[in-house]
This record gives sequence, structure tokens and C-alpha cells, in this order.
Amino acid sequence: MADEAPSIEYLRAAAALQGVHPSDEDLEAVQGFLSVLLPAFSELETMTPAGTVPAGMFVPIDQP
Amino acid sequence: MSLADLAGRLSRSDLSPREAVEYYLDRIERHDGEINSYISVRGEEALADAVALEKRAPADRGPLWGVPVAVKDVIDVEGTVTTCGSYVTEGAWPAERDAGVVAGLRDAGAIVLGKLNTHEYAYGAMTTSPRFGSGHNPWATDRIVGGSSGGSGACSAARLAAGTLGTDTAGSVRIPASFNGVTGLRPTTGRVSNRGVFPVSFTYDTVGPLAPSAEDCALLLTAMAGHDPEDPSTADVPVPTYERELGGGIEGLRVGVVRSLLDGDIDARIADAVAAGIDELRGLGAQVRDVSMPMIEHFGTIQQATQFADATQVHAPTMRTNLDAYGPDVRARLLTGLFIPSTVYAAGQRARRVAYETMRKAFGDVDVLCAPTMPVLPPRIGEDTVELNGRTTLYRLTIIPYNSPWSLVGLPVLSVPCGFVDGMPVGMALIAWRFAESTLFRAGHTYQQATDWHVREPALTSTTA
Repeated sequence: MADEAPSIEYLRAAAALQGVHPSDEDLEAVQGFLSVLLPAFSELETMTPAGTVPAGMFVPIDQP
Repeated sequence: MSLADLAGRLSRSDLSPREAVEYYLDRIERHDGEINSYISVRGEEALADAVALEKRAPADRGPLWGVPVAVKDVIDVEGTVTTCGSYVTEGAWPAERDAGVVAGLRDAGAIVLGKLNTHEYAYGAMTTSPRFGSGHNPWATDRIVGGSSGGSGACSAARLAAGTLGTDTAGSVRIPASFNGVTGLRPTTGRVSNRGVFPVSFTYDTVGPLAPSAEDCALLLTAMAGHDPEDPSTADVPVPTYERELGGGIEGLRVGVVRSLLDGDIDARIADAVAAGIDELRGLGAQVRDVSMPMIEHFGTIQQATQFADATQVHAPTMRTNLDAYGPDVRARLLTGLFIPSTVYAAGQRARRVAYETMRKAFGDVDVLCAPTMPVLPPRIGEDTVELNGRTTLYRLTIIPYNSPWSLVGLPVLSVPCGFVDGMPVGMALIAWRFAESTLFRAGHTYQQATDWHVREPALTSTTA
């Protein structure tokens, strides 16, 4: 995953594909969030051992 | 006066439900203008409810008979518009029925005084509603109340209701509990019905009580916990009468101190206050030891990987038609969720399993974990930064490491007041394994029997609403 936030043009187009039409000012704020989140998300892929099943919608009920 | 004290006085007929409602309506009239904790007050309805309750036969009176409470305005109360603190809901119809938790409180005899201020759609930790204005901290009115259940924290601290309800996705009960100097419980995810509560994220949300003491929160949780056939996320696990399990002390209770958080990026004065609280637990008989938790620094990222998309999915239809009605900060968060790749969401769910197993292992050796609730004091209204050991940092970045680890795997957390820094209250978080709220209440109650942080009240000076 890229560590840099996508461009305003990319974000505008991707939002439009989902029927949402934000202002450039809004998308600049989004870039701020993504610039922090995307590098952190990249690490998720490396911290999960092979064969780990998802937690699912609700975590299970069992004892420690 | 605590909620438990008030319930006792009502049950002994030392005062009537109507007198209790009138007492709080008078306090709201005199003081809420200073802190802006209420979005709407059900004055006439609450008085009518009180009169109706007075006609109940003594045998039909529940444990909260006549106790006035207030709820965060993302929770439905029949006949009242659920505003979610947003312009988006302008013109919305009143709720046709009570949320599951409100129905539970009313069945126990509680009276709903009104709806409380919230960060817009419970999606932020400031409670600076674009529609209803910022909440003001009753300990220093130029500071925020935290959030998202900021109105609930401020209302409880100012004693403008006997107890309140908030909601918690990633800290939204615990943060305002800490910032306002009250006790707050995030219950186990699935312990309490979310029916009739506007969601942030279906897999993390839960409703929790905020009130002066652990005993108060126990009374409220007993009334509202349990399986709801209309909410499949609730677990069919027996509900104790929590307030009857407060005694017995904490001799031998195994308390694990999350050392990486106590020594982490935290205001040193807050760390000292929490360390003193831990010493108090040790003095009360707890067996205290340090606990290390691998990967805990990543747990916040895991929650964000799933929570952003969850929240955006809920709001997507409105974002297509009425995007500008959201305040700028919530609009930016919701838009960010549009760009979280599905692979990140899937990776987050798998990493959530790793976090769950890490936490389960930790609880093999301890009964309760202990950590600071928040590492910083509340920022001043209008600012999004805080001072942290001589440097300036973004407030929102301080929240996640101290709150998400427990939400991520659905654990219950009790925040209890444990001291003051610069005249502002700070909180100590006690965390238990799933559905072990009784252990938290017993620990919190024992601590509060030995300390007086939770009975201190802010000085309110306003005389106009």
C-alpha cells in the first residue's frame, strides 16, 4: 500500500464513483487523515500470522 | 448527592418523585446555561411521569423509582427528536418508541429529564456540536467536556441529573468521565441493547452509564443490561444484580498495571495521580503487578481500519444528498471512510483476532487491568491541541492509544476519578474480561469507599439558564 495520501483529483473521482461530491477543502482534510492512516494500515498486513481467521462481526464469548 | 443516595431517599419516602424532578429542573434552570449539557429538557413530561409513578403501588416500584436521569441525544426517547447534535436531523420526526436501554431504565422506575449534548453523531471526542454549541467543562468552563458523551459527563458532574447515559465506540463514555470527574462504565460489547441508538460502528458501539459513583453505575447497568431479541448483537448472558455484588473488598484481587501506558506518552502529573490510585488499590489488598502487552501500540490502528468504514457506511445515503449539513470535522471523518480499501478492512478484522488472543492471554494471569483513562487534560474550547510535557500535540492523537485497546475486543472498562491536575479531574481505568462488570464495580466501589475524589463537585456560579 502506498504511504502517501492520494491526490485531490483521485479522491474527487473516487468519491464521485460512490455518489458523493465533496469540496476540495473537505478533500484536503481527508488527505490529512489518510497521510496518518495509510502508513499505519500498511503494518496491519505484516502483523497477522498466516492462518489467522477474522474476528468476525462480533468477538467471541469465552474465558481467558 | 449520589444516585444511590437519592434512590434510597425516594424509597423511604423522604422525598417524592415529583420533588426529585423539581429539584433537578431547578438546578438545570440555574446552571445549565454555564455548561450547555442539555439539548432538550422534558420538564412537563418528566413532572407528569413523576405523578404517574407516585400512583404505583409500593410493590410495583423498581430500584430506580422516581430517580431523574438524562440520556445522550443519540438515544431514542419516545416523543422526542433524536438530534444527534447535527443539522442533518433538522425537521426529523420524534422517536416513536424508547430505545431498549431507556425502556429498561423506565421499567426500573427512572424518569427521563432530557437529552444531552454530544459530539455530532457521536463521532468525535470534543462535544463541540455545530448545531447546539460546545459543552463547557464544569471544572473550567473554557475547556471542553470531552466526548462524544460530553453532555453526559458534564451533566453528571454538575449534578443536573442523578445519572446519565452515554455511548462508547472508542472511548466516548470514558473520556468525558475522566475529564468531568465522574465514574463511567463502558460495558462489555453485547451486554446492553443498542436498539434505538444511532450507531457509529455496529461492532464497537455500546451504551454506558455515567454518574458520581461505581455504585450508581451498577444500579443503572442492572436496569438496562441483558439480551434484547430485537438486537442480535446482544449476548444471552445472565445479568447479575450488580449493586448487590459491590461488597467483599479486593483482598487478593490480581491487578495488572499496563506499564507501557502508565510510562507512555502521558502528562507526568496524570501518571502520578494514577500511580497513587494504584498504590491505594495495593493498600486495599490487591496483588499488583506489571503487565506487558505485545502489539498494544497497534491496537488503535486495528480499530480504525474497521471503524472508519463502518461509520461511513451508515451515513453514505445522507452523504450523497446532504453532505454540507455535517460539521467540518465529522464530514472529513466520514469522507475518509470512503477511501479505506476493502483489503484494509479485512486485514483489520484478522488483526482484531490477534489482539483478542493477546488480551485473552493477559487475563489468564490477572483479574483486572489498570491504566490511565486519558493521558492529557481537556483542551481549551476552540483548540485541537494540548500541552504534553512541554510540547504541543494534537488532542485526537492522544485518545486512541489509551482507549481503543479495550474497545477493540469488547472489554468492559470502568473509569473512576483518581485525582486532580491543575484543578482538572483525571481518571483511572479498570478493565476486566468480557462480562466481568461485577469485578469492576467491586474494585471501583472499594476504591471509592477509601477515597473521596468521586464526591467532589465543581463550583457552579451561574444563576441564569
